Amino acid sequence: MDIGTISLILLIGLFVLLAIGMPLGFASGFLAVAVLLMKFGPDLLFRSFGTGPLNILAQRMYGLMTDYVLISVPLFIFMACLMERSGIAKAMFDSLNVWLSRTRGGIAIVTAIMAIIMAAMSGIIGGEVVLLGLIALPNMLRLGYNQDLAIGTICASGSLGTMIPPSIVLIIYGLVTETSIHALFKAAFVPGFILGGCYIAYIIYRTRMHPEQAPLPEGGDEVTMADKLRALPGLIAPLLIVFVVLGSIYGGITAITEAAGMGVVAVLILITLRGELSWSLVKEALMRTWKSTGTILWITFGATALAGAYTIAGGPTYVANLIIGTEFPTFGILLLMMLIFLLLGAVMDWVGIVLLVMPVFLPIVLKLPVDELGLTGALVAAPSFVAVWFGILFCVNMQVSFLSPPFGPAAFYLKSVAPPHITLPEIFRGFLPFIVLQLFVLSLVLLFPEITMIFRS
Amino acid sequence: MVEHEIENWMDRISIAISRVSMFLVAIIVAIMFFEVVMRYVFEAPTLWVNEMSMWLAGCVYLLAGLYVMQQRGHIRIFILYDMVPRVWQRVFDVTSVLLICVFAGAVVWGGFNEAWVKMLRWETFGTAWDPPIPATMKPLILIAVVLIAMQSVTNLIADWNKKKEAHDLAEEVKEEHID
Repeated sequence: MDIGTISLILLIGLFVLLAIGMPLGFASGFLAVAVLLMKFGPDLLFRSFGTGPLNILAQRMYGLMTDYVLISVPLFIFMACLMERSGIAKAMFDSLNVWLSRTRGGIAIVTAIMAIIMAAMSGIIGGEVVLLGLIALPNMLRLGYNQDLAIGTICASGSLGTMIPPSIVLIIYGLVTETSIHALFKAAFVPGFILGGCYIAYIIYRTRMHPEQAPLPEGGDEVTMADKLRALPGLIAPLLIVFVVLGSIYGGITAITEAAGMGVVAVLILITLRGELSWSLVKEALMRTWKSTGTILWITFGATALAGAYTIAGGPTYVANLIIGTEFPTFGILLLMMLIFLLLGAVMDWVGIVLLVMPVFLPIVLKLPVDELGLTGALVAAPSFVAVWFGILFCVNMQVSFLSPPFGPAAFYLKSVAPPHITLPEIFRGFLPFIVLQLFVLSLVLLFPEITMIFRS
Repeated sequence: MVEHEIENWMDRISIAISRVSMFLVAIIVAIMFFEVVMRYVFEAPTLWVNEMSMWLAGCVYLLAGLYVMQQRGHIRIFILYDMVPRVWQRVFDVTSVLLICVFAGAVVWGGFNEAWVKMLRWETFGTAWDPPIPATMKPLILIAVVLIAMQSVTNLIADWNKKKEAHDLAEEVKEEHID
């Protein structure tokens, strides 16, 4: 069968299997078998038991398992689970609040800053949105903050976990596309902070324009400098963890995997110092880690099998030629890809998108004329950097996907902890201005690749 | 964290494996800490920690999938599934399980010889410490895939007569994250 027909059947098959509710990972795994069957025919495939082209399935899985960087995934998950069960986040919120509660929109700003710090500790979303929803949302609603502002702030900044390094999205992207994860982390730094900065600037602007949306707390004692200084320790501990994790990655002391391991140790030490360490806390965190790891990894296994089978069948080259053959302008192709990411992101999980779409998209991007990427042609000086830049673009896209209906995961995470009268449509409504900000940063990175190149060695 | 209860012998196997193996993540953290201390404090890096963590992590990836299957936790899309009557849901489920079994069968069909040979030859990783990672992990892939397929079949049987229930994502997150 020719590769065009195989591609079409694969696409339809994927939609049908997802529609009937087959688990994504196993749907991809089965489709890998289907692709091999269509490519080689049943005779060659099943001629002798124990060998043949089907061996690619187990081989791809084994290849993933022996990748040292992948170990950082369960470790970062473990770290996030431990942190979620401890009082570290609550302490950080309280001390930031002492500093900023007298400012207009203070709690929203505190929420955003806290999210940025937590994003720099670990690379997971979900736990972060839940934590902020539990700690910050009741505070903001009690003070009479605008509900849309409160919700948007929590979910948008809570999603930064996968944008600001360390980021699990970039780790998987790096593994799949064989791009340096170090380089990706360095490149994501500035765009991540621009995005976080945009959120804070927007909160300040909005609450200045509409002071009724963020009332100041009434009465209470004046916060003295002594109070502010006394509140500092709650902030120092999380910053130490950030220092341990990011410091060891950027300083090149340890590999990313070991940085994740040391992050876990740092969180454990902190929990012990806070007197919160207990057997049930660690056991619960391990159980959650176990479940999340199984979920992410088996999507990855299925998708890597499918990507392997599709590559053998010549799929990526076929699609690349198809798109390049249309003689679309470079910028048009990039825009089309961004659009596809956004659409897929609205209905699919990011892991699935990285694994299924990247093997097709990245080769196309690498074939585009380098001088036409970005407005200023900054990538000409470093053609090998294109894959890194594209990874960051993807990462910003996935920020949008966490918020975009109907399946923005952040909305569901928040719904689970929000007061029952707050409905999902209300939550999504709160996201709108923040999605605009994300799209703004996306176009910045798209037009000015320099943003990602600042820390390039 | 609310867990899906144990309903049959297969659930018991999956849960038993999980209760033990979930501690592997903690062991990985411990040996990594040991390695970093040895390297930077005593300037005596170990040979075995990197490969040992890879070995343990491989077990984690594979076996955690079995637990997630028992918990009905693998990521799937419920839009259409929740709309159709229970009869159609059964048709969908049978199709899914059948295809999962085809996938498992194909992995075993294609990978059996390599796994068998490497196990018999006790093939090692070819490094200084030289652990038998290929000899153990290649067969474990096949075992894990078969166990997951078995679990999916017993799930189908166990859930056959259950009533239709809507999947509320927010409720599921709540069960996961809040006690």
